[in-house]
Amino acid sequence: MKLDTRERSLLGLASILVGFLFIVLLRAQGVAGSQGARQDTAVPSLIQTEQENQQLSTDNEKTQLELSKYAQGQSASTLANQQLQEAQMNAGLIEVTGPGLQITLDDSKSVDKGVDANNLIHEQYIRAIFNALWNGGAEAIAVNGQRVTTNTEVFCAGSYIQINGTRQMPPYVIEAIGETSNLSSALNFYVWYQLADLQKQYGITRKLEVLDKVTAPAGKLRDYHYAVPVKEGT
Amino acid sequence: MHRWKRSLALPVTLVAIALGFLISLQAQTQKNVSAAEKISAQRMTQMKSVLSNSQAQNTKLHEEQRVLSGKLDEARKRVGTDPQLLDQLKQLQMLEGTQAVEGSGIQIGIDDRNKKVLFPLSTDDIARLINTLKFAGAEAISINGQRIVSSTAVVLSGSSVILVNQVPINRAEGVSYELDAIGNQDTLLDYFSKLEAPILKQNGLTVSITKKVLRIPAYKGTYTFKQAKPVVTP
Repeated sequence: MKLDTRERSLLGLASILVGFLFIVLLRAQGVAGSQGARQDTAVPSLIQTEQENQQLSTDNEKTQLELSKYAQGQSASTLANQQLQEAQMNAGLIEVTGPGLQITLDDSKSVDKGVDANNLIHEQYIRAIFNALWNGGAEAIAVNGQRVTTNTEVFCAGSYIQINGTRQMPPYVIEAIGETSNLSSALNFYVWYQLADLQKQYGITRKLEVLDKVTAPAGKLRDYHYAVPVKEGT
Repeated sequence: MHRWKRSLALPVTLVAIALGFLISLQAQTQKNVSAAEKISAQRMTQMKSVLSNSQAQNTKLHEEQRVLSGKLDEARKRVGTDPQLLDQLKQLQMLEGTQAVEGSGIQIGIDDRNKKVLFPLSTDDIARLINTLKFAGAEAISINGQRIVSSTAVVLSGSSVILVNQVPINRAEGVSYELDAIGNQDTLLDYFSKLEAPILKQNGLTVSITKKVLRIPAYKGTYTFKQAKPVVTP
């Protein structure tokens, strides 16, 4: 096809125009796409740093307080014992009591029992309840006399559920200490009604009691073979 | 030069009008985009300044902590605190999670952002993965930098943001979830690759497990006991 100069120049102009439009469009698209991502990462890291700052400043205050006590000549062993007591409390190694909830879960009484059947209490129900209770501000949780600590597993091993390395059979009695209204509403928000459905359909039983006094036994300290504390300032 | 054909007049006019319309539209969009760009750049700089502020504070606090803990060590030595007691304290702090730890373990990367994935990782999935690691005897666990302690709850905020220890852990870039666990590498690897990895892979998620020497950060939250009181044994 032969084009004269005029046509050619027109065609060239048109191509340049289209190319220009295309580039502008791409740029606009790129800006809109990339902006969201950067802000997404900034927010969590901000919250995390803020939280760390808060913890650090309370830590530092505590250390300063301790130092001043040393300066006043307070007995070193009393001080260390106090700290030990506090850490044991945090780690769940001290038996505690207070107002709280008692939740009792049991398998269905129907004869037809299989491992995956819906008429059994499964490990995930217990875990979901723990999760909801911690979220509701629980201060201590125990199940069937086993205190829930950092290392507590709730693992289905066939006919029983392994908790803290012990075999637990239904009924499962979960005790949680904390602000009872907060605990109940967290429980209702997350799992309680799902369990109600299971109760209606398959006959598992669930019971929730608000008690003035529940007790969570002391947990156990574990041995550490692999993890060592990080030295400060490294 | 030949004369214009009459029949071409109408289409050419139409094309010209369309092109003109597009160009003006583009100009308008461009204006909007640059305005949006300006606003979001402003937001970014504000965000950045807040973030860098808190980061600066963070480093300051870290420095302060280093100095203070040095002084504390000295003071303890001077008054002669029982080193065995201090060891015990460290171990308790490892259990409650306020002590950062290091040691050999496994690092698990899980990516749920490819096209094959029907359901991204849920809070229940995360709770199950953590539970399996505990079952395998992990001494310390973290997910996306959040230390797992007894009172850790994994919950959804809105429809897609996952909170662990009340901190959003979603990542916009890189691997979506990174689980670190310190413990016996063979046991951890064995349990995780047999119990969890196959299910995840079946659902289309990308899973990578590596043996590594890891450092797991401290729990940044605090423990509060308002309702729970220690049981005093007579």
